[in-house]
Amino acid sequence: MRFRLRRFISVLVKEYRHILREPRTLWMIFLSPAFVLVALSFLFASGSGHVDLAVWDHDRTPLSREFTSNLDSNVDFSVTYVDSYKEIDDLLVDQKVDAAVVIPSGFGDTVRDTEGASVQVILDGIDTFAAGQATGSLLGYASTFGLKLSRQFALPFPPLQVYSQHAYSTGTDRSDSMIPGLIPLVFSLPAMAAALALTRERETKTLESLVVTPVRPLEYLAGKLVAYVSTALVGLLPVWLVATVVFGVPFRGNPVLFIAATAAFLLANMGMAIFIGNLVRSQQTATVIALFVFFVPGFFLAGLIDPIDTTNVMSTGISHLLPVTHFVAICRAIFVKGAAISEIWTSVVGLLGIAAVWMGLGALTFKKRTS
Amino acid sequence: MKDVLHRIWSVVVKEFLQLSRDKVLMGFVILAPLLELALMANMVGDGAGNLPLAVVDKDLSRASRELVAMLDRSDDLRLEMYAENVDQARQSMQQGKVAAIVVVPPGYGEYLTDHRQGAEVQVIVDDSNYVVAIVAESSVENVAAEIIQDLTARTTNISGGPVKMSFVARFNAALDDRPRSITAMLGLIVYQVTLIIAAQSFTRERERGTLEQLRITPLGRVELIVGKAIPTLVIGLVDSLLMIGLIALWFEVPVRGSLPLLLSLFVPFILAQIGWGTLISLVSHNQQQAVLFVFALAMLEVACSGIIVPAADMPKMMQVVSQVSSVQHFLVILRGVMLRGAGFSSVWVPSLALTGIALAAATIAWLRLRAGLDTDSLRQRLRAAWQRHQKQVRRKPTPSARPGRGKPRLAPQPVYVARQVPRRRNHPRP
Repeated sequence: MRFRLRRFISVLVKEYRHILREPRTLWMIFLSPAFVLVALSFLFASGSGHVDLAVWDHDRTPLSREFTSNLDSNVDFSVTYVDSYKEIDDLLVDQKVDAAVVIPSGFGDTVRDTEGASVQVILDGIDTFAAGQATGSLLGYASTFGLKLSRQFALPFPPLQVYSQHAYSTGTDRSDSMIPGLIPLVFSLPAMAAALALTRERETKTLESLVVTPVRPLEYLAGKLVAYVSTALVGLLPVWLVATVVFGVPFRGNPVLFIAATAAFLLANMGMAIFIGNLVRSQQTATVIALFVFFVPGFFLAGLIDPIDTTNVMSTGISHLLPVTHFVAICRAIFVKGAAISEIWTSVVGLLGIAAVWMGLGALTFKKRTS
Repeated sequence: MKDVLHRIWSVVVKEFLQLSRDKVLMGFVILAPLLELALMANMVGDGAGNLPLAVVDKDLSRASRELVAMLDRSDDLRLEMYAENVDQARQSMQQGKVAAIVVVPPGYGEYLTDHRQGAEVQVIVDDSNYVVAIVAESSVENVAAEIIQDLTARTTNISGGPVKMSFVARFNAALDDRPRSITAMLGLIVYQVTLIIAAQSFTRERERGTLEQLRITPLGRVELIVGKAIPTLVIGLVDSLLMIGLIALWFEVPVRGSLPLLLSLFVPFILAQIGWGTLISLVSHNQQQAVLFVFALAMLEVACSGIIVPAADMPKMMQVVSQVSSVQHFLVILRGVMLRGAGFSSVWVPSLALTGIALAAATIAWLRLRAGLDTDSLRQRLRAAWQRHQKQVRRKPTPSARPGRGKPRLAPQPVYVARQVPRRRNHPRP
């Protein structure tokens, strides 16, 4: 009943044969992460912060014209002039503009009053990201415009200036922050393959013939895992080259830590995948479930785009059950921040814990099935 | 024609019988989308809100405290800690505990009201996630703009500054982020379900050896494909309808446009996935490869869809390339019709694009199908052609080195011929 190295190795050899026999599967496990990463990486340009505006000038005084023409010549805005609310609404529905600016009649007169003039801005409430950009840009524009007017009164200088600095000097290039975040997602591919390898054996009935051999379930699982994790880890090299050499993402951390974290991530994912594979009989079902678990949540729950809202207990809890959440944080910390293990130990421990939990569940359910 | 319809119908019946036999799969295909959508819609927060902020206040004046209070009150930031110095704050950022650091230099309060010199604050943002960096930066800038407005108002006696902006959000007054992300989730879930079912249609049969059985029936290839596509389409539409119901009733996402229009535009979207999926299932040897293909394709589609990067922010070249992504067009339609109440006249361009993509995918799948249902048939054909070519070359006498002098000689026979031995397979594929 003991774990025998020899039997483990024979399973390992069998798995390598399976992988090597189908050159296409091998290439897909090995190269597809790098390939997908290349394609994804072309997406990230520097953000433009550009806002498409519709402008309706009720006032038509020199001052309102100054307001709109300055707006027009500002590189942050491109302006469409309109003449009715109907037109504004149509442009918003057609998603042609992000916001509309309505200058009321009497703008030129009231702007010098004690009340000041009020400009209405209609935002597209659906695209909240663009709405936020439009709000910021327009507020900034209004305050500089107001300042320019009030210079005629009192203030010859901007009373408050904000100097902003990027802590890790990634500049305006988004790929520096997004590519390390995408590495975990592209590395879900090998884990899916491993899960299917298991269900496949059940479906093609070769698992039965394995049961009658002296191989123990644990040896069998270990052999499978080591085979797939090692194949996937070799695929780390092209991914790393793509990120650092092709796209110039800085790698400031410790390579050994990175490799170890990737191995832990792969183990956690495969444990999860094996658990799924044990629950269902057919490959098709396993695939559908695996896709549900790995694909969409990876984009929305892992903190890849929007950071995880730590004030929401439920979402924080579920997010941290997914290995990808921890690994996104680790990848970003290692690549961009150059973090040492003492600084990211919480994520590392979380990842290891989850790996242990899922592997344990996978092993437990597996035993029951074969015996 | 009637025969054709009859044969297609029998494939449809067969597919549904198979599906209904696999209770687990059926349950997953119908219920998992609803469950996942409900779970994620509950979890998704309000974008990048509530970012933790560290403040290094070296001024400790009334004005600086007011600034910190304003930062804490703003929607996107919350005060996490006061730090002694910048290094300490940087350390917290390194550990991921704070997303931004605001440094208030000594003399801030004085300079702010001093009429000869302006005040300044420094903000350091965590740019290891660019969304965080942008949001943190702009919310500090917004607070600064507010302070400037205040000051201008005080010095010029104009309350709120000379130009006030009053913001109204159309379609979504609270500027809630959820309608946007929930629609994206809905699109992605429909996408993944239909793509994976289609991608496994032929691979599964091939792996189980039932493809051979199907081939000896009188079914034509196109009939087979159409018959297999219909159940997927039905499942996709049922899923979509259920999910729309869920988000409209539970999450109060409005359905402003016409529901029939919306559902009819789901059809080309799902058909596009069926086209790609069928293509994948025709070229992969087994389900493992099929799912790897699906995953890689899905990553690319999502990347181009504007979920990770807004479409307008992509490089020009990628904006063109990303037009191939059916998800991108579909999200424009979904958000247009559902959330903005757009009619067909507003969304005909993406609808046309979607139809084009569906047609293109179907055409490629059909072309691939003409090469045969076997994955190797193309390769085998090429190999056979190559072998024929080789034989001809061998038979053809090599031209003499010195032309015009006697009969052309045959090429000298080599001592031994290394034959191409076909690679041994341990287990022949079914």
